[in-house]
Amino acid sequence: MFLNYIKIAFRTLLKNKGYSFLNIFGLAIGITCASLIFLWVEDELSFNKNFDKQDQVYYVPTNQNYEGEWRTFYSTPGPLAQDMLNDIPGIVKATRSSLEERLFVVGDNSITRSGRYADADFLEIFSLKFVEGNREDAFVNPEAIVLTQETAEQLFGKDEKALGKVVRVSNKDNYLVTGVIENLPNNVSFPFNWVAPFERYRDGAEWMTEYGSNFSDTFVELAPEANFETVDTQVRALIGTKEENTDDYAFLHTIKDWHLRSKFEGGEIVGGRITYVRLFTIIAFVILLIACINFMNLSTARSEKRANEVGVRKAMGSGRGRLITQFISEALILSIIATVFSVVMLAILLPQFNLIIDKNLTLGLANPMHILSLITVAIVCGLLAGLYPAFYLSSFKPVEVLKGLKVTEGSATLIRKGLVVGQFTISIVFIIVTILVYQQIQFAKNRDLGYNKDQLLSMRIDLDFIPKFNVVQQELIRTGSVDNATLCNSSLLSGGNNGSGFSWKGGTDTEDVLISFRNVTQSFFDTTGMEIIEGRGFSETVEADSTSVLISESLAKMMGNESPIGNIISRGDDVLEVVGVVKDYVYGDMFDASDPVLFMHFPSYTRYMFIKTKAGVPINEALSDIEAVMKTHNPAFPFEYSFIDEAFNEKFKNEQLVGELSQIFAILAILISCLGLFGLAAYTAQQRRKEIGVRKVLGASVSGIVKLLSQDFLKLVLISIVLAIPIAWYFMQDWLQDYAYRIEINWWVFIIAGVVAILIAMVTVSFQAIKAAIANPADSLKTE
Amino acid sequence: MTNTLLSLNEATRTVNSGSNKVTLLDNIDLQVKEGEFISLMGPSGSGKSTLLNCIGMLDSFTDGGYTFLGEPVHSMKEKNRSKLYKEYIGFVFQAYHLIDELNVWENIETPLLYKNVKSSERKAMVADMLDRFNIVGKKDLFPQQLSGGQQQLVGIARALIGQPKLILADEPTGNLNSKQSTEIMELFSQLNKEGVTIIQATHSEKNASYGSRIINLLDGKIVSE
Repeated sequence: MFLNYIKIAFRTLLKNKGYSFLNIFGLAIGITCASLIFLWVEDELSFNKNFDKQDQVYYVPTNQNYEGEWRTFYSTPGPLAQDMLNDIPGIVKATRSSLEERLFVVGDNSITRSGRYADADFLEIFSLKFVEGNREDAFVNPEAIVLTQETAEQLFGKDEKALGKVVRVSNKDNYLVTGVIENLPNNVSFPFNWVAPFERYRDGAEWMTEYGSNFSDTFVELAPEANFETVDTQVRALIGTKEENTDDYAFLHTIKDWHLRSKFEGGEIVGGRITYVRLFTIIAFVILLIACINFMNLSTARSEKRANEVGVRKAMGSGRGRLITQFISEALILSIIATVFSVVMLAILLPQFNLIIDKNLTLGLANPMHILSLITVAIVCGLLAGLYPAFYLSSFKPVEVLKGLKVTEGSATLIRKGLVVGQFTISIVFIIVTILVYQQIQFAKNRDLGYNKDQLLSMRIDLDFIPKFNVVQQELIRTGSVDNATLCNSSLLSGGNNGSGFSWKGGTDTEDVLISFRNVTQSFFDTTGMEIIEGRGFSETVEADSTSVLISESLAKMMGNESPIGNIISRGDDVLEVVGVVKDYVYGDMFDASDPVLFMHFPSYTRYMFIKTKAGVPINEALSDIEAVMKTHNPAFPFEYSFIDEAFNEKFKNEQLVGELSQIFAILAILISCLGLFGLAAYTAQQRRKEIGVRKVLGASVSGIVKLLSQDFLKLVLISIVLAIPIAWYFMQDWLQDYAYRIEINWWVFIIAGVVAILIAMVTVSFQAIKAAIANPADSLKTE
Repeated sequence: MTNTLLSLNEATRTVNSGSNKVTLLDNIDLQVKEGEFISLMGPSGSGKSTLLNCIGMLDSFTDGGYTFLGEPVHSMKEKNRSKLYKEYIGFVFQAYHLIDELNVWENIETPLLYKNVKSSERKAMVADMLDRFNIVGKKDLFPQQLSGGQQQLVGIARALIGQPKLILADEPTGNLNSKQSTEIMELFSQLNKEGVTIIQATHSEKNASYGSRIINLLDGKIVSE
C-alpha cells in the first residue's frame, strides 16, 4: 500500500513538473534559510561552554555610580582577586588578568599576538589542556609564558618542540616557554594566544595594588557546593569593606552568560545578543511557516486536479483515512526531497553566509544532532504542510467530483487567501525592517564624528618608540605622503582610560562625572582633524604644557556659560588649567553621546600612533613610504597598521549583521511568497478559464481581463500592507530604543515597502493573468 | 430460483437548491434479482445517475428503504456500508475515471489494495483479469496512451477485479464510437451470462436492448417497465 503511495507521489511529481518545482523549491529555500539561522544560533548558544568548570566560573564586573547612574565595567581593582580568595569561603580560585598585545620574536620570526597576563589560577579556572609542559608548574618560573599550539607553531615551526625555548617579547624581555596548550575553540568570548604571569604586566606599579583604579579583569571559580546567592552577596559587599567613600561594588557574572547576556543598564543585566538570538530563532520558524503555507496553498489550489482521483479512489472503496495517509505521505516525500535539496544549497551557501556573519560555521553532517534536526524539520514540515490539504482533499464527495461538478470551495478559498495575506504581511515587515536598519546604520555612520576618519592610520607602538617619535614624525612628513602624525594613549574609537573625582569652579557634584583621559602630542588635533573651538592647542614642548589641558565641549558646558578658558580642574594634588576647548568627538558607543574628555600633553605612556596620509597620494605609495621610515627607526617590529575608517565600520558589525540578515530574509520571504502567489495565480486563471472565455466572447479587452484577474490579489496585498505596518512599526520602535542616537521612523518607509510589495505581486500575477487573457476563447469554451 | 439482490421501497432523494427543495428521485419501488441486466433509460435529468449512485452507496436516499442482500442499507453506519459496497459492487463510468498517474496494471489493482488483499494474491488476480480481457500487452501503459475503448475495458476490468455481485455502469459507452460501444456491450452481456448482475444507465435504445429489463425514468419517477 505504502509503496503505491510513493509511486503515485513520484508520478504526480514528475507529471506536474512546474508545480513540483514551485513546491519543492519554495520549501527548500525555507529549510535552507532556517537551517542557516539554526546553525548560527547553535554557535551563539555554545559560547564559553567548552570549559570543564563552566558552571563554576564567573567573570567579576564592577558597578560604578556616575552622576546618579549605575554603569557596569569589566575592569576591577588589582587586589580584588586575592581579597575575594582570602575573604570569601565559597571562592576557591581567583585570578587577575589583562588582555595585551605583544611582539614575539624567535630568530627571524616576529609576530604580534594578543594574550593575557594572569595569575596561575587562570590555568586552573579555565582547565587549559597542556600538550607540552603541565598546568601545575607552568607558572613556577616568573619568566614563564604558555603559548597556544597555533602560536607555538608559528614561532618555532610545525614539528619543533616549544617547551623550554626562549622567546623575546616586545624587543626587550625574554620569556621562557613553560607550556603549550591546545588551541581555544572559536566560540570563546575572550580568545588569547598566550598566558604569562601577571607579575610581568607593568612591574611594581603602585596603582596596581590599590583599590580605586580599575584595570584588571577578574575571574573566579566557586566551590562546586557553594551557593551562588551567598557568594554573590559577599562579593557585592567586598569593595565597600576595603575602600572608603565608594559605592562601587563587584558582582558575579557567569561566563556562560557573558556572550549572550552582557548588556547592562543601571547595573543590571538587561539582555544582550540573546535578543538577536531569540529574534532570529523566531524568524527561522516564521520562514519555515511561510514555506509550509506555500505548500498548503499550492496543494489545495490544485485540488480540482486531484478531486477526480479522490472520487475514483473513494468509489473503489478507499476510506477517508487512507486518502489522508496518502496525501500526507506525498507531502512528506516532497518535504524530504526539499530537505535533501536544502542540504545541497546549504553546502553552497554556507561560505557566503560565514562571510556575512563573520563566523566559521560548518554543516556538521557527522553530528547526529544536525541529522536529527534535519529529519525533524523534514517531518514537521511535511506534516504541517500536508495535514490541511490532506483533510481538505479527502473530504470531497465522489458523486460530486466524478460528475465533474465544481468543488465547493468556500472555506478553502478563505483559508488560502488568509495564508497569502500572512505571507505577504511577513514579507512586508522584513522589507520595512531592512530599510529602517539600513537607515539607522547610515544615520550613525554619517553623524559628525568630530574628527576626520579618512586616510587615518593607526599603529600600535611600544614605550621604546616614544622618544623617537619627533624624529619619525619629521621624516614621515618629509616623505611627502604624510600630512602629520601623533601619539595617543588609546585608540581613537574606543573608550580608553577614564576616571572621576575631579572638581572645578562652576560645577556641582563634579567628583561624580566620569571623564576620559587622552594623553597626546601637540600634533593630535591637527592629525585627527579635531576642531579647537576656543582657546589654543598645545605648545611645541611638553614642559610648557605640564599643567595645561584641553577639554571637550561637553565638559566645557558642565562648567557653566562662562568661557572655561583659565578654569582650574583639580583632583588631589593635580591642578590643571584649561587652555582650550575641543569639539565633542564620538568614541566608544557610536550610537550614543560620548563621555567628556580631558586632553593632556603627555606623550609618555602612549600606545598608539596615528598617521594622516596626504590627500591625493595613492595609499600603497603612502604605505610603502611609511614602512620605510618605520623600518629604519623601529626595525624590530613588524609593520602592522589598521585604517581608522575600517575600524569604524567594524563598530557597526552587530547592526550590519541585523541589516544584512533581514535583507536576506526579506528577499527570501518575498521569493517564497511569490512562488506561492505565482502558483495561485496560475490556478485562478485556470479555474476561471471559462468565465474569461465568455467575457472575451462578449467583448472584454485583454487589459480588462488582466485587471479582473489581478485585482483580487491586489486586495490581498493591500490588506497585508495594512497589517504589516503596525507590526513593523512596533518592532522597530522597540529596536531603536536601544540607541541614544537614532532615526525617527518616517512614513515614507512604509509607502516604499508597500509599493515594492505591490509591484512584485503584480509582476508575479500579471504573467499568469496575461497568459489567460490572451488565450483563445474557442479553446476554453469547448466542453470535454 | 433466483435471490433478490436489492430492493428499494419508496426510496426518495431530495436536495436543497437554494431555498427550493428539489426531488431527484420520487418514491422509487424496485426489486433487483441476482443475474438481472437492467437498463435505466430516460432523458437527461430524469434521475438515472442519481439512482445508480444511491444504489452504489456513493450517495444515499433521503427517505424510504433500501435493502441490499437482506441488509437494511438506509439504517446502516457509514463504515458498514463502505464494507458492503467494497465487497459487492463495482463501478464503470462514462468518462472511465482511470487514475492518470497509474498504469493499467496498477489501476486494476487499486480496489484490491483497499480490500487488503495480499500481494501475491493480487498479482494472480490482476494477471487473470488482464488475460481474460486480452490486454496483457498493455499492462504497463498509462491511461493517456490508450484509446477510449481500451480505457473503458480497463475500467470494466477494474470494476470486476473485486468479484462483485453487482456492476453499476453509468453510460459506459457515452464517450465511445459505435464499434467500441458494441464491443463493450457484448462484454457486458457476456459477464451477465456468467452471473454478474448489471444495472446500466443509457440513452441508447440499442444498448438498452442488451438488458433483460428496461426501466424508464422521468423526473425522478419510474414511468414504465
